[in-house]
Amino acid sequence: MKNLVALIAIALLLAGCAPKETREIDLATDTAEDADFSSADLFRITDGMVASIEANGFYRQYAATHGGEKPVMLLARALENKTDEHIDTRLVLEKIRTTMIKENMAVFVDDKAFDEALDQLNLQATDLYDNSKAARIGRFVGAKYILRGAISNLRKQEGRETINYMNVTLNIVEVETLLITWTDEVEYKRASTKGQYRR
Amino acid sequence: MPVPGPRGGTRRLLLGVVLLLAAGCATYTARMAEPGELYYEADYVEAGEKLDGLVEDASNEDIELLRLERGKVRLAAGEFDSAIIDLREAERRFDEIEGTVSMGEALTTALVSEGSKEYQPDPHEKILVNTYLMLAYYLDGDLEGARVERNRTIGRLKVWADPGVPGERRPLDVPLARYLAALMYENEGLADDARIEYDAVRSLHPEAAPDTPNTYLTEIAVLAELGRSPVKVSREIRGYFAKHHGGFAGFFTLPGDGGDVIFPLPAGGIFDSSELGTVFTFAFPQQVPQPRLAARCCAVIDGVEAGPAVTLDDIEGASMEAFRRELPTILLKSAMRTYLQVIAQNKLHGDAGTIAGIVAKVFSAVERADTRSWQTLPAEVAVFRMEIAPGPHEVLVRYYDESGRRVASSPPTIVEVPEGRKAIAWFPGPR
Repeated sequence: MKNLVALIAIALLLAGCAPKETREIDLATDTAEDADFSSADLFRITDGMVASIEANGFYRQYAATHGGEKPVMLLARALENKTDEHIDTRLVLEKIRTTMIKENMAVFVDDKAFDEALDQLNLQATDLYDNSKAARIGRFVGAKYILRGAISNLRKQEGRETINYMNVTLNIVEVETLLITWTDEVEYKRASTKGQYRR
Repeated sequence: MPVPGPRGGTRRLLLGVVLLLAAGCATYTARMAEPGELYYEADYVEAGEKLDGLVEDASNEDIELLRLERGKVRLAAGEFDSAIIDLREAERRFDEIEGTVSMGEALTTALVSEGSKEYQPDPHEKILVNTYLMLAYYLDGDLEGARVERNRTIGRLKVWADPGVPGERRPLDVPLARYLAALMYENEGLADDARIEYDAVRSLHPEAAPDTPNTYLTEIAVLAELGRSPVKVSREIRGYFAKHHGGFAGFFTLPGDGGDVIFPLPAGGIFDSSELGTVFTFAFPQQVPQPRLAARCCAVIDGVEAGPAVTLDDIEGASMEAFRRELPTILLKSAMRTYLQVIAQNKLHGDAGTIAGIVAKVFSAVERADTRSWQTLPAEVAVFRMEIAPGPHEVLVRYYDESGRRVASSPPTIVEVPEGRKAIAWFPGPR
């Protein structure tokens, strides 16, 4: 009977709570927690893609033929998500955009600001504003290129093991011609196994 | 030297524990009775409020199942975002614990009750979580979210219901999931993928699937739920220990057509032959199909009864089959638990006199059958599909009993059918 009581006590202890713990994670050395899409993958994809665009150098060629101007680009609404995960794919595109702007590779049109900018222009055209200093209508710049792509995965699950193949393909498409100016892919396959025991 | 029985204060404390345990031990089916009734009476607001209370008071063991119930109620109420939150949260936890073991739970389920472990859904329930998520995203107008859930649903079907995997899994298939996935494939122009899913539907319900998939016709598919999936109730079963084939065994009879069951006990060791003849009882879950108000239904489009809906998914059948397969394990665990409890009570009786009576009460208070299952699922899903002009259409479903008398009607809803696409109208049904 003593053993029975001890077993119950152990069960109750195992069911107990652990204190909450918080720690900072270094983004540069962050690793994926499981087979699903993670922030580590986001870094791997954006770093790889920006390096590929840099190596391709289409923007230098554009500058050479357009009097030193940088190409004007636009982000697609999102990457086409063909995976079985709810991923904020716009984040991938925005992170690439941030790096490309910081590296002076291109300038971008902010499609998300369109409605607000239009409201402002309309408002500033009224007598409420000093018209000599107001922003002028008719100066929006059209994009020459669109950054777009797709993310796909193939998942295999058996017991506690999950194997996930992920592929991200990006393209820079010339608006006038629909020609793909640049394309590349980042792919990886990762297996993760859940622990057999849980609390 | 005999151990003295508990003093008055200790006895009162133990009895208090007994009462507390008993108070917290209403079966899941009993707790779901009220919100369940409200749901099948289409009072989704009141059902949702009752479930809010249950979720708030829920233990870790039941909370995700209650989230499934609430998610389904919110879906029926048209609160798609809230439905998605509940269903996704439940799915996340089910994924987390799938295939894992908790030592604490293993011990408490061995000693106390099967219901003291976290709920893990049956295979068809796992598939239906993603199916209803797919529907929720679709009805919310988030086609990308619906596509992700379609892909997750297909993944679950591969793991849990594909005929190619070992074991006969066709009875556990979820044609509703396949049909919805096929509709989405057709809308994406992926006819081959749609054909694979329609073929699987046709093998189970030939009338439900179209002859060939098409990616060009403008069509509406009306999905109507009927009845309530079976619920589990707690039944008390009596048995006794006796000699059997030179060893010891527990003998008991299952209610219904379960018949006599003989449970062999480990000879020697902890089993004491003085327990022979001891009569024991244990609680056992029995799955009970629910009476149906409606036997069939018809889709009414733009005021005209367009045609009868045909059976697409026999969820009641899948649920009964899943339980039938689980039965031997449930029996084995229940009998083993009872055996351990009888031994413990007899030991205590010898050691501590009156404390044995109190402990016996604790066990009998705690011992409730695990009656948990997703109770807001329908017994059946029927489908009606037709080619239709693009644009808005008023759609409702009429329900009829066996004699052809109309017993219920859904409120009308406006469905926008895009040109060259398939629109989906979904109706939660009456009991």
